[in-house]
Amino acid sequence: MSKPLVEIKDLRIDVRVTRKKRLQIVNSASFEIQPGKLVGLIGESGSGKTMLCRSLVGTLGRRGAYIAGGQLTFDGIDLVNASNKEWAEIRGKRIGYIPQSALAGPNPVMTIGAQLGEAISQGQKMAKADIRERAIELLNIVQIRRPEVVLKQYPNELSGGMKQRVMIACAIAQNPQLVVADEPTTGLDVTVQAEIMDLLKRIRDEFNTSIVLISHDLQLINAVCDEIVVMHAGATVEKLPSGEIEDSRHPYTRALYESRIDLVEPRGKLRTIKGQPPAVGAWPTGCRFALRCDFVKPECTSATDVPLLTLSPTRQTACIRHKEIY
Amino acid sequence: MNLLEAKNVSVVFNSYGSEIHAVKNVDFILPQGKVVGIVGESGSGKSTFARVLTGLQLPTSGEVYYLGKNIQEGSETYKGELRKAVQMVFQDPYSSLNPRQRIINAVSEAVQQHQTSNKSEAREIAAKLLARMGISQLDANKYPSSLSGGQRQRASVARALAAQPKILVADEPTSAIDQSAQSQLLELFSELIAEGLSVVLVSHDLGVIRYLTDETYVMESGVFVESGSTQQIFKAPKNSYTQKLIASIPGSHL
Amino acid sequence: MKLQKIRDYADRPGGFGIIVGIAMFAFIALAGIIYPLFGPYKSDAFVGDSFGKPSLTHPFGLDQLGRDVLARTLTAVPSDLGVAFLGVTIPLAIGTILGILLAFVKNRAFVSIVSSLIDGINAFPLLIIAVAMLTVLGPGLVNVVIILTFMNWARYARIARTRAIVVMQQNYIEAARLQGYSKKKIIFRHITPNVSSESLAYALSDFILVIIVVSGLSFLGLAARPPAAEWGAMIADGRTYIGDAWWLTIYPGLALCWSAISLSLIVEGLSRRDRGNS
Repeated sequence: MSKPLVEIKDLRIDVRVTRKKRLQIVNSASFEIQPGKLVGLIGESGSGKTMLCRSLVGTLGRRGAYIAGGQLTFDGIDLVNASNKEWAEIRGKRIGYIPQSALAGPNPVMTIGAQLGEAISQGQKMAKADIRERAIELLNIVQIRRPEVVLKQYPNELSGGMKQRVMIACAIAQNPQLVVADEPTTGLDVTVQAEIMDLLKRIRDEFNTSIVLISHDLQLINAVCDEIVVMHAGATVEKLPSGEIEDSRHPYTRALYESRIDLVEPRGKLRTIKGQPPAVGAWPTGCRFALRCDFVKPECTSATDVPLLTLSPTRQTACIRHKEIY
Repeated sequence: MNLLEAKNVSVVFNSYGSEIHAVKNVDFILPQGKVVGIVGESGSGKSTFARVLTGLQLPTSGEVYYLGKNIQEGSETYKGELRKAVQMVFQDPYSSLNPRQRIINAVSEAVQQHQTSNKSEAREIAAKLLARMGISQLDANKYPSSLSGGQRQRASVARALAAQPKILVADEPTSAIDQSAQSQLLELFSELIAEGLSVVLVSHDLGVIRYLTDETYVMESGVFVESGSTQQIFKAPKNSYTQKLIASIPGSHL
Repeated sequence: MKLQKIRDYADRPGGFGIIVGIAMFAFIALAGIIYPLFGPYKSDAFVGDSFGKPSLTHPFGLDQLGRDVLARTLTAVPSDLGVAFLGVTIPLAIGTILGILLAFVKNRAFVSIVSSLIDGINAFPLLIIAVAMLTVLGPGLVNVVIILTFMNWARYARIARTRAIVVMQQNYIEAARLQGYSKKKIIFRHITPNVSSESLAYALSDFILVIIVVSGLSFLGLAARPPAAEWGAMIADGRTYIGDAWWLTIYPGLALCWSAISLSLIVEGLSRRDRGNS
């Protein structure tokens, strides 16, 4: 196996709540991203998946969060201790970012052309004609018809799906090695979602770009990604190839997969996960899924540390009872 | 007799001088005890139509009948009857509960409106309703901001049920909450349906529609392009738009 | 237990400022209530030599007529802070209720007339109008409250109407309508509490301004007039002697600053907490 592009090991992210109090949002995240792979990061709200993705694009500090421990390297560069100068060379250039469609879109007071131009030149001096040529090329890549017209338009003239395509064009303007997509299709229609996912796959294939796709939709991740990383309560609990989700070795992933509705008989008994996910930072000791797990044993809650066990080069699980259960 | 029926309903919005036809001459029937789904993408007019069914939005033309009675015909008693009979669950769990009201108070206020004037009795009924929705007494005494999206949605259902409605109109109830919360909410819906509640379910999630509904209407640009039994539509969609929707379900082409 | 709660509160963003601000404000407000009841000197009693220097018996000194400056400064609290309080809360209540009701009105012509009136009132500079109106109505603290109400309700009405329109579109208001709640109930139980938080935040910062306006008008001789104990009037009274007897002007001035600073600390703390939470 080639050298991974991104290595995350025992990453811990804290957020300042008050002057003295700190809250752990992520406290043991470990996974790798290989070049040219589409990795799906799945978790419910509060699982820390969004913070993890922010750590990859260097925007943690804006919410008072910071990396409190562990390792995070990108192509051999230590991102934990990266200076602002180093980040400036990475962010937007070597790591692209596609924001959540519902929360952020293109700047409403700039034309599409102006925004794409910014992403292309990144503040460097460039000939106008070159920028325009590249902008049209990018819009062609993201399959926007009549790019010359769209360049002159403002975001409010575009549909939600078109706007998200523009954001993707901005993210890949510098031919980044890694693209981080944080719930890029939340709030978009299913047909648009399918098109955007096809687009992401094409970008991966054509430019050998690694993509991290963050979502709370397991079916989507399973259908689109190469690998699945499952987050639960601030920790990565399982890593597996997407085709093997039915053979998952963690009760949380299984329960999540089995609680999906598309294949269940209409009005049949739906499998539900009982209770609520643990509150951020108020995690129980031992396995954090134990309270909601059907297979819980005393040893699950007594262990102070739940390590990620490696089953094969492509599979890891944090369930200590996986051998007995499955 | 049909529980709820819409005939030739149109809704036109005026926006800076230009007219937007959100819903165009549609017919709709909700039979007693059935679950009817309305599928469509954002902007298709499905939410507007759902609001017409609840009475929150008056149609520009056309009529809505509740048990054969035209509810638009001014009479306050009809309106009152409809108010009692139809309740709604909204898409956004964050704006569907008053942030300045504890959950238990929001529900017991509704119980007091419809069931009993006794305050402590109302609180008891409300607590029972909430418990049934899986909200503990501890959580019921909190403000909405300290509950998760799924819990808020279930609290909204409890408030709607306090009116003892015959019809529940749910506008995308699961689209803004986590998957484990989604399955909990859907389980709850199917329990209520089994007890005889009639439901109009608006969603863009075909999985949800397939799981819960007996009949489905597919809406595109303010018009129902296809309708029929849910099974039939999923097995053999006739309309090209419906086919495209079904093909877009993640994993459907694998 | 209780102390721990206060400590936790102080630890949150802005919490320290809020607690210090509240403590400072409570201190001067309580002193202003307690001193006139139990204090050794009356504000208008001649208790010693004119221009008596600050001493142990008279810590703030004596004024040109031999009255105790401490007694006068603290006795002024009810007229300064009290008048300002009324000058904020009365327009707050009137403006908020009118603003919410205005949000319900569908008649466009009526709304635009009232909106222009509101904008018109808001466009006038408060202090200049106040001076003009006080010369017509005659000086006095009651008239100050009337003028503040007349001038400031419009600002609260604008805030409340804008906010109420947003609140009315929220699903919980639609749910309340579906439940068949009466209009009265929807307005007072569901809309008003969600509108008032914004108005209250504005009112708190307005309080500072109004305190300064009240004492400023008194300084000009248009609100409280000598011999009444009032900070602005005391400063105006003492300024002729400022070279020889600084305590006549400094102490009422400090009281004024103290009140304004305590409120600023609270306002600043609250806004910092809002930012921290978002």
